[in-house]
Amino acid sequence: MSQCVECGAVLSVPICCDHCGAIFDPQPGTDHFSLLGFPRAYALDEERLAQNFRRLTAKVHPDRHSQRSEEVQARATRLTADLNRAYAVLSDGVRRADYLLELTGGPTAAEERGVPGDLLAEVMEVREALEQARGVGDRRTIERLRQANESKRRQTLDEIAALASGVETASVRQRRRLRLLLNALRYFENLTTELV
Amino acid sequence: MKRDGDIIVGIDLGTTNSLVAFADAAGPRLIAGGGGEDDVIVPSFVRFEADGRTIVGKGARDHAVEYPLETVYSIKRLMGRGTAELAEEARRLPYRVEKLSEAEERDVAAIVAGGRMWTPPQVSALILAELKRRAEAHFGCEVTKAVITVPAHFDDAQRQATRDAGEIAGLEVVRIVNEPTAAALAYGLDRSASATIAVYDFGGGTFDISLLRVEGGVFEVLAVDGDTHLGGDDLDRTLIDLFSREIREQSGQDIDSPVIRQQLRSLAEAVKVRLSEEDRTSVEIAVGGSFTYRRQVTKAELEALIAPFVDRTLEACRRALKAARRSASEVAEVVLVGGSTRIPLVRRAVGELFGRRPYTALNPEHVVALGAAVQASILAGRRQDLLLLDVTPLSLGIETLGGAVGKLIGANTRVPCKAVETFTTFQDGQTAVKINVLQGERELAADCRSLGRFELRGIPPMPAGIPKVEVTFLIDANGILNVSAREVRSGVEASIQIVPSHGLTREEVRRMQHEAIEHAREDMSAHHLIDVRATVEFDLNKAERMIREYGVLLAPADRASLSEAAAALRALARESSDARLINEHREAFNRRLTPLAEKALTAALKA
Repeated sequence: MSQCVECGAVLSVPICCDHCGAIFDPQPGTDHFSLLGFPRAYALDEERLAQNFRRLTAKVHPDRHSQRSEEVQARATRLTADLNRAYAVLSDGVRRADYLLELTGGPTAAEERGVPGDLLAEVMEVREALEQARGVGDRRTIERLRQANESKRRQTLDEIAALASGVETASVRQRRRLRLLLNALRYFENLTTELV
Repeated sequence: MKRDGDIIVGIDLGTTNSLVAFADAAGPRLIAGGGGEDDVIVPSFVRFEADGRTIVGKGARDHAVEYPLETVYSIKRLMGRGTAELAEEARRLPYRVEKLSEAEERDVAAIVAGGRMWTPPQVSALILAELKRRAEAHFGCEVTKAVITVPAHFDDAQRQATRDAGEIAGLEVVRIVNEPTAAALAYGLDRSASATIAVYDFGGGTFDISLLRVEGGVFEVLAVDGDTHLGGDDLDRTLIDLFSREIREQSGQDIDSPVIRQQLRSLAEAVKVRLSEEDRTSVEIAVGGSFTYRRQVTKAELEALIAPFVDRTLEACRRALKAARRSASEVAEVVLVGGSTRIPLVRRAVGELFGRRPYTALNPEHVVALGAAVQASILAGRRQDLLLLDVTPLSLGIETLGGAVGKLIGANTRVPCKAVETFTTFQDGQTAVKINVLQGERELAADCRSLGRFELRGIPPMPAGIPKVEVTFLIDANGILNVSAREVRSGVEASIQIVPSHGLTREEVRRMQHEAIEHAREDMSAHHLIDVRATVEFDLNKAERMIREYGVLLAPADRASLSEAAAALRALARESSDARLINEHREAFNRRLTPLAEKALTAALKA
């Protein structure tokens, strides 16, 4: 743990001092997890994450430093932007998994654009069935399709969570699988908006 | 005047009304004008007189019908906008809207009044200056800092324009705060229980819905939605359109004159207000010739006319709930803000949507200014127990190849927030890159609002595609965009030239600020001139009475020359506009009068 350059107190998070209230730019390479005082892992206590976020925001927010120099105010704005970004990513399970995968070596979304094997064919089938059902006003079939899509989406989310939890020690094949599943979510979400 | 840097006032710069407030240890309070404790509202009206003087507030509003071409209102609807998008709006306004002539590459709307062009920030600055004066009279010292509120849905250009208005008026705008957020702050000040609340803000020109989570003094905005062009003005227009159509049909006259337009506007507003209390009301307007238009309007009729607008506000509420991932039943309280929420139909509709009776204990026209004052006290460091966490209302993006939008920051992202994007060159040795920055939710650049064209300069010459210019887009706590850039390979800080699409440049704002100071000085001398002339008139009346009654005590020649001097002073006061000169002559005349005054006094004592 590093020390506060202003008062020498031990820092619990890299951006502000609990003791004297000074705020610091984080070291280059500080990730979202350490910014919010968490170890780099998928499983986290969301309630505590929200608490940490609020506590830190209350310390670094520009409103708390509006009487300080312009330099400190600009830093406060930057830091709060960093906190907001980190919290937005970590508080969302999917974005957290995606971020963790990238952080631990990928593949990133740009490196691997594929989706699991038969997904595209399945989506096409659903669309055809939807069109048919719409044509004859078959609400029950549409509702059945909607439920099936929702359950697939949930299954995918569960598998993402399972893979992301072990991502640090995952094999190349498992890491690729995680990326394919993350890419697949968009298709389920698009169908959700169509199936109404 | 002495200066007190600690004073930060809160200002609600509204479409129809503006207010100023200040919060001390006892809480926020509105600052009243000279008309007594209840004189807290400055109507957002400005009249431009032919002699260059401006009249702000009630005096301008109350005579809007007599001076339709000279009276400017609803200027907020023009803030940060271009003439192309205001074409429809401008046709309905009695005053003229034109493209600011000196802004060649940009489309900045301006109005024409008092024989010259005024940009909306300049007109708003006149209103702000009036509020500043009130605050200064209240504190007995100069006030130079303010928190100013804007509709949550205002885009970057509209926020910039508001900040420019403050600067022109001589106010440092320490923070732009969203109106519903300010209202929530005033509402939640004394409440500690954690809850999700909705602020439904239906004002004169804009509509906002904000959902917030309030807990332990932290006011966290979850989502906002709304429409910057939907307000009481639009409701009035449905009535104006109805009346004008019927007048045309019944009288066979074309009645579209500025006077009639302004008369109809006042009438429509009055009808709307009366029908909030009563079930029916009658209107009467002499149109000219011998035709007088008379009609009954029922509440049901008005409600049918305005229902589509109310429906639009409910749509926005549903979108906001969806964005905040909340259901209507999870909302513990719905706070009503803005004059249009006095309309019974609005209250009913909001009550039905949220399944609860809206909270109306706060004065919907005061609450925003009070909240702004609370935020001002936070920024002054006097309140450490409260904190506002707001969001950006619109997505931010850049134009990509083919006119598409590359989204950088999504709507409802907490501010401050930032995004970093890397750009490169397409030609060998290219040293500049142009970026079109956009705001809006549409997928094509042409359908979004361009904030401006940013030109990165000073990129070291390298083969095409080699430079990596890292551009940081940072939206600050005001919801205003700041852009910085750096060439990664060389570490060179690239400079950014910004051409705002609908805004003023820094130089223009500075120039307008100087003009405003100059104008205030002229205005002051104009006021001064009126005072001096009145004093001259008073002194002359007194002197002439004295000459009439006691003139016999003087030699005939002295008497004649004194009468001549009086006539000369009267002529000078009428013809000259130099207050100092007139005053000097007035004093000289009074000195010449002294012998007679003494004789008169002696005579009066003897008698």
